[in-house]
Amino acid sequence: MLSIEDLHVAYGGTRAVDGVTLQVEAGQTVLLIGANGAGKSSLINSVIGLVRHSRGRIRFDGRDISAMPSDARARAGIGYSPEGRRVFAAMSVKDNVLAGAARLSAREQAARWDRMVASFRFLGERQSQPAGELSGGQQQLVAIARAMGGAPRLLLLDEPFLGLAPVWIQQISAAVRQMQDEGIAVLMTEQMARPALKIAHYGHVMRSGQIRRSGLTSEIRGAALAEEYL
Amino acid sequence: MEGFIATGLIGISLGSQYTLLALGFTLIFGILGVVNFAHGGFYVMGGYVAYYCTSMLGLSYPVALLIAVGSTAMLGWLFETLILERVIEDHQATLMVTMGFYLVMATAILMIFGAESPEFSFPIAGVWRAGGVYFPYANMVVLGVCLAAIVLVYWLVYRTNLGRAMRAMAEDRAVASALGMRTKVLFPFAFALATGLAGLTGALVTPILALAPHVGDPVLAFSFLTVILGGLGSVTGATVAAFIVGLVEAYAAVYLGGSKGALTLFVLVLIILVIRPQGLLGKEVRRA
Repeated sequence: MLSIEDLHVAYGGTRAVDGVTLQVEAGQTVLLIGANGAGKSSLINSVIGLVRHSRGRIRFDGRDISAMPSDARARAGIGYSPEGRRVFAAMSVKDNVLAGAARLSAREQAARWDRMVASFRFLGERQSQPAGELSGGQQQLVAIARAMGGAPRLLLLDEPFLGLAPVWIQQISAAVRQMQDEGIAVLMTEQMARPALKIAHYGHVMRSGQIRRSGLTSEIRGAALAEEYL
Repeated sequence: MEGFIATGLIGISLGSQYTLLALGFTLIFGILGVVNFAHGGFYVMGGYVAYYCTSMLGLSYPVALLIAVGSTAMLGWLFETLILERVIEDHQATLMVTMGFYLVMATAILMIFGAESPEFSFPIAGVWRAGGVYFPYANMVVLGVCLAAIVLVYWLVYRTNLGRAMRAMAEDRAVASALGMRTKVLFPFAFALATGLAGLTGALVTPILALAPHVGDPVLAFSFLTVILGGLGSVTGATVAAFIVGLVEAYAAVYLGGSKGALTLFVLVLIILVIRPQGLLGKEVRRA
């Protein structure tokens, strides 16, 4: 579904991503694990097109999307939940969630919203509250629901556990499992290896813009946990 | 007491005009991150288009209004797509380009229509009176149209997909586009909406106040003032501030006299900004 070949991203002279190759198959959850500055976010952002890569190729559904602007990539079926959540703070929870659903008809939007509320009850309870007033964990769920608004087939989750209490990490994990049950492929990054390994199928350990270890989550557990302490 | 009420009506009517100008100005700033120095130019253009349609072409005033809105919106759309879009990431360049475009517009109007104020008066004369309260019908029509336009803008911004996308764009452009919102469509649309509102205001107000090539200067100043008072980028803030500015201006002009009115307004704005530097309803400084 998503295929990244020899990806290079550089900011000025700094190499953020230095020749990464990886695949995400349909329905698969792939984890990128690594410390701050390992290049995880740069990789995610280059998949959605917020960062331009200097070399390499990104294919989605067999199509090279390197030249597409980020809004076209989103409409092609890629959902995006950014690092630090970045919810639209002044907008209501419902407007946040439906922001990614603009091209659906009013009826489809209503159906989409009802499904989201069925999965995450608090969205309905807080629907008219400005998203900026919510707690970090709630904002993270809003960001994920917002990414799901456009009914994507691939979901990019950039550090979904960042700064969250354990109870919220469980909630987010449950949400990700629900996406998996719906057959959605997920590419996620995390510094917190322990909870992230539980929900992923396959993992890559990143350091200094390169992939150091790859494998099934059971195979890379040791290397991933070691990385957590670096 | 009657004088007090009549002045209040004038103030509200001024406030509704400022709201239309400020809404456009704040939308452009909020969504595109551009301070539109050409805003007054579209106001003047709206006035001249309406004048040309009624006086030269003999069209009825409502038709002239529609043409004024359509032409200013169209020019705004073209200006954004063809010129502003190329420099949109560069703040200083957008200042220079919008400022330059204002000069081009003002000079073009000067060349076509001359420096003198044309004879352009509101088609409805007469004054409504109830007891000692006087309110010209012309102002009443202007107030009605402005309020209708304000309601329309609010509906658009807060009740439609387009409005939701525009608000998302104003909050976080990168994330909004990563969620599928089209900058290439929304930027020109927001700009055209804003310039169309300025054109509408010009076509409505210049027959009551004055029409001349340079009347855009104070319009820019007042739009700027209103939007900063309300909080840059805040739609509701701009509306509240516009009515405050209109009422203060009307009351100060009547009870303190012309130039003291402006002085009162600027002092008041200064005090408010010392207490609340982000404006009445402003949240935080826009991310660069």
